[in-house]
Amino acid sequence: MNTESMDNELITLLDRVANKDHQALKALYDCCSAQLYGLAIRVVSKREWAEDVLQEATLTIWRSAGDYRASLSPPMAWMGLIVRSRALDFLRRRKSEGSQVTQELDDTMAQTLPGEAPNPMDKAQASEQAWALHQCLGQLDHGPREVVSLAYIRDLSHSDLARQLSLPLGTVKTWIRRGLEQLRLCMARFA
Amino acid sequence: MNIHQNPELLDRLAGAFALGTLRGGARRRFEALAREHAPVRVAALIWQTRIASLNELQPSAAPPPAVWSRIDNLLKGEAEAAQMQQARLRAAAPTPPGEAAVGWLRSLWLWRGATAAGALATMVAVVVGLNLRDQLGGEIQQLQAKLLSTPQIEYVAVLSDDKSTASMLVTFDPKSKRLTLQRVGNYQEASGQSLQLWALPPSGGPKSLGVLGSDKVLRLTAGENDVKAIPALAISLEPKGGVPSEGGPTGPVLFKGALIQKAL
Repeated sequence: MNTESMDNELITLLDRVANKDHQALKALYDCCSAQLYGLAIRVVSKREWAEDVLQEATLTIWRSAGDYRASLSPPMAWMGLIVRSRALDFLRRRKSEGSQVTQELDDTMAQTLPGEAPNPMDKAQASEQAWALHQCLGQLDHGPREVVSLAYIRDLSHSDLARQLSLPLGTVKTWIRRGLEQLRLCMARFA
Repeated sequence: MNIHQNPELLDRLAGAFALGTLRGGARRRFEALAREHAPVRVAALIWQTRIASLNELQPSAAPPPAVWSRIDNLLKGEAEAAQMQQARLRAAAPTPPGEAAVGWLRSLWLWRGATAAGALATMVAVVVGLNLRDQLGGEIQQLQAKLLSTPQIEYVAVLSDDKSTASMLVTFDPKSKRLTLQRVGNYQEASGQSLQLWALPPSGGPKSLGVLGSDKVLRLTAGENDVKAIPALAISLEPKGGVPSEGGPTGPVLFKGALIQKAL
């Protein structure tokens, strides 16, 4: 299925969800939950927590599907934003409850960095924008690519990143600056 | 600095803004510029959209089936509550006389949607004469049975140890006269010992509410009078099988906490 017809199908489902159609929500969940759950895992780093996030995000989608069209976003982009924001809320909540969330994150983050290729990607499932970003990220070295991704995905500052990844602050700053600059030049070609 | 007239700098700042690495005063200044100048706002939005695509580039993972079951249950519960609420509202608003014909249809539709036995009594009064009762008798009975079987938690206590670690969740449902205790910590008494639950009344000594088995969830029977007006509960460590109520606890008090009556 190409991106456009996939998007159209998701938009139809979101319209039905906005009208409180349970079956449409189930259909939407069936086709999108794996990607959304994957994103949630990446933000909160624990599968068990990611389950709670996916649950909350699905309920948010159920309640706010009526606002989807006004966002003018591709459906996966809109749902992805919801999942990321619920996941960050989740981490903030854990933190304010005084849990060891930072320590736990540090532990999992330390294992995040060692090299892995960018995820292979099926062009049919990604929005144009995501495909372009994927192409451009693929041109970065592993370190900058990972640091740029994590900065956004987990909403981390330079110093958070340096601490959690056990990297010198200067390295993090250079990677981010260089990574963003490369993305800027690359993305301009897709605009 | 005129960043909206320096496209390259604007593009860079917008990228860092969207990524979230532009922080503190620099971020606030950028936000202020974006509010004032549409081109700055546009650059920020473009970059936000680009960067947000990162959300779509993470590896997928199939969630366990239990997640959907939980969502489904929550939504069903929500739908029932909403129908109940709607039925109550409709029951409270009498049909204007001029709308008799519409009223017929409406109330029929409403009746079908009603799931609250509590609201039914009121509603019967509204639709007297519509002779719907026969058709709906079965449904009403079902709903009443359902309502009766749903626990109504009216009292809640979280019992904690001396380090304020929650160890036991206690709920009381006066309708079924059932105290439910759920162990939430890791505490496990030795095999020769038992935990005993005590009511701590405002005056007089502790009164035993029962002895706990070793299960994770325990149920004890208690009347509302045993629980009403009791400000706190405690759990003591006693010899196997517990001790008589009159003498009060003999072992150390391990957990205690305030008993709260729910307002809703």
